[in-house]
Amino acid sequence: MKVTLEARTGRIQPYLLLVPALAILIGFLLFPLMWNVYLALHDVSLTTILGNWKYVGLKNFDNLIHDHDFHTSLQVSLIFVGGSVALQFFVGMVLAVVLNQQIRGSNTFRALFIIPWTVSAVITGFSFKFIFNDSFGIMNYGLGQLGLAPVSWLSDPGTVVWTLIIANMWHGTPFTVIFLTAGLFSINPVVYEAARIDGATKIKSFLYITLPLLRPFVIINLILITMWSVNFFDLILVMTNGGPLFSSTTSSLFMYRQGFEFGLLSKGAAAGFLLIAMNLVLAYSYIKLLRSKEKTIEIRQS
Amino acid sequence: MRKDGYIGRYFSDRNMKCNKNIVHKFVCKDFKLILFLALVAVVLIAPSLTPIRVVQAQQPNQVTLTAIVAEPKERWDALFADALTKLREKHPDTTINIDYRVLPYADTRKQILTAMAGKTSIDLISVDQIWLGEFAEGGFLSDLTDLTNSWNRSSEWYKTNWDGGIYNGKVYGIWAWTDVRAMWYWKDLLNQSSVNPESLKTWAGYLDAAKKIESSTKGKGIEAMHLVGASHSPDMWYPYLWMQGGEIVKQKTGHPEKGTYWFPSYNSTEGVKALEFLRDQVNTGIKPQINHFWGQEFADKKFAVMLEGSWLLGHFNRTEWNGLDKNVGMIPMFPVPKASDTSATMMGGWMLGIPITSTNKALSWELLTIMVQPDVLAPMLEKYAYLPTQKPIAEGQYSGQLANTIPYYKELISMLSIGHSRPSIAEYPQIADNIRQAIDEVYLGVKEPKQALDDAAKKSAEVLGWS
Repeated sequence: MKVTLEARTGRIQPYLLLVPALAILIGFLLFPLMWNVYLALHDVSLTTILGNWKYVGLKNFDNLIHDHDFHTSLQVSLIFVGGSVALQFFVGMVLAVVLNQQIRGSNTFRALFIIPWTVSAVITGFSFKFIFNDSFGIMNYGLGQLGLAPVSWLSDPGTVVWTLIIANMWHGTPFTVIFLTAGLFSINPVVYEAARIDGATKIKSFLYITLPLLRPFVIINLILITMWSVNFFDLILVMTNGGPLFSSTTSSLFMYRQGFEFGLLSKGAAAGFLLIAMNLVLAYSYIKLLRSKEKTIEIRQS
Repeated sequence: MRKDGYIGRYFSDRNMKCNKNIVHKFVCKDFKLILFLALVAVVLIAPSLTPIRVVQAQQPNQVTLTAIVAEPKERWDALFADALTKLREKHPDTTINIDYRVLPYADTRKQILTAMAGKTSIDLISVDQIWLGEFAEGGFLSDLTDLTNSWNRSSEWYKTNWDGGIYNGKVYGIWAWTDVRAMWYWKDLLNQSSVNPESLKTWAGYLDAAKKIESSTKGKGIEAMHLVGASHSPDMWYPYLWMQGGEIVKQKTGHPEKGTYWFPSYNSTEGVKALEFLRDQVNTGIKPQINHFWGQEFADKKFAVMLEGSWLLGHFNRTEWNGLDKNVGMIPMFPVPKASDTSATMMGGWMLGIPITSTNKALSWELLTIMVQPDVLAPMLEKYAYLPTQKPIAEGQYSGQLANTIPYYKELISMLSIGHSRPSIAEYPQIADNIRQAIDEVYLGVKEPKQALDDAAKKSAEVLGWS
């Protein structure tokens, strides 16, 4: 009898340990997700939220797929995410590698570079809104001093998304710098020493030692900054509110505006669901890429 | 040893070890600790997952009214303090308190709607005029019709302002104060450009003045005319539509679900002409301003002329108000097509409403009526340069006091007669967005005014259920 009880408690114990984490996951992740799906399958707006919710099946998704503004928002997202990730990663990598050299004050610079990341996106948005103001912004003032024509940073549909990418790059690059710096610290300096003795140049060391050993950090960094850029909307909301002419309305901003500005909760929920799907596809692709590279390395090593 | 994985093995071993030294018969010390931690976690998490609302225990004669209102906070501090004193005097046996949350404009609507959807008890809210239809349609606001009938003060309000609180024939809000958009200009800048302010009154004169001012202010960091390119650009287009007799929406029969319902009418001839005037401004060299600072840009002398709300005065120091008319001029109108035409303007401002979830409706109504009493409201209006919606303040004993304090008060008040309000319908935010898109398309030269408005109206018709 005694043994049976102990055995039982032994079996239950691991599950009990999982209870807090599961409770949080179910309460704050799974339940909202399911609720979102439920909302997306009904016709609910702010004006009908207290009434009966009409089941409409996949109508909201169908409306979304045929919504021209949603298509535009996907295109804008593609440019915004692509541009943001490419610039954040490239600039972050360069800065991380430069700061990893034995230069004076590199620790101070690292500390300074993290400041933009600690500033809230809303404050960043307001700051860049002033900087890029078409009439009175410091950017156009500077261009004027150089004898150049002013640029319509925020009012030209062809330019505005790039202005947002610059602002997002300023805000997000420090994370890449810190993350890749951690990765660079994990590489044993002996490897570089050996390469140097074998006659490898700095560029070759970077290409054949740093990059391959940094790959897991790079992939995780790319996953994170891509997902953040896909979901990022507060900076855009403050700087342009999606204008002019939807040219800066990303999918996340589209979702926000449908749900909270127009009160179309079901349409917003459907857009949110598609955003989650986008995030999952992106994360899966990156992880797949990481695993395939790892396998290649294992095969080569064996 | 059981082969059920590392974790299973680990705990199994731990239990065996515990078993050898235990004081307790069945369970070891570690396990107790784990159970305790799990219990604590569940206790901590459970309340956030259950819809149990902890209601603060109150004394039998103690009432706390709750409110959500929009920034700036100072105006509410003054208003609530005065009103509460009077309310307490009326109820000496009850301890009455007000717990009010002041939120930024952009968050107020969202927070109110979230609270209403969650059936949170709130006793009083500030409602922007354009939200009323949405809130009333959603069943979030209490019907105040019977209360206002017995109150018997409705005739003291200007008709437009009283009607602004009505949705589908029922009263849902009391319009407490308003604001109007007018034309402001820097006198010295117009003088330097040899522009007579009178010439700004017509469309042709306005465009001509823009060219003159632009040439004289070039390179000085000053723009001639302000043109709104921000998200509220429709608000500054409506007056041009209204002054020609146009309307944003009209009632129409044959709606597939509602029989008679609103239909977009802003793409009328009047609407097209109004949008052509905006296009002409762009063609003259006036740049639509994406960023809007609600009059601060004018106070900073970045623009020579600006069409902006009466709140613009708030950007000048109150000590400057006395001699403000020496430097800053004001024309109480939007430019009109011909000098003989009557102008129009847009009225905004705040209403007070009682949510359906209020648990103290009678007391909330009493508080609301005190807050809009002339002796309580007028001092606040005077301090913050807001315009009254009721005749006893605008025309009665308080008018002299307000006129002495607020620059151009009489001119601003005169605009109430040409003031229009936006439609109080649930779909308004989407309709405004459609119009905003049409304006942007014209600003950017993507479409001609008629085409842009027709396309926008088609979208609005769909939004209104005409498909």
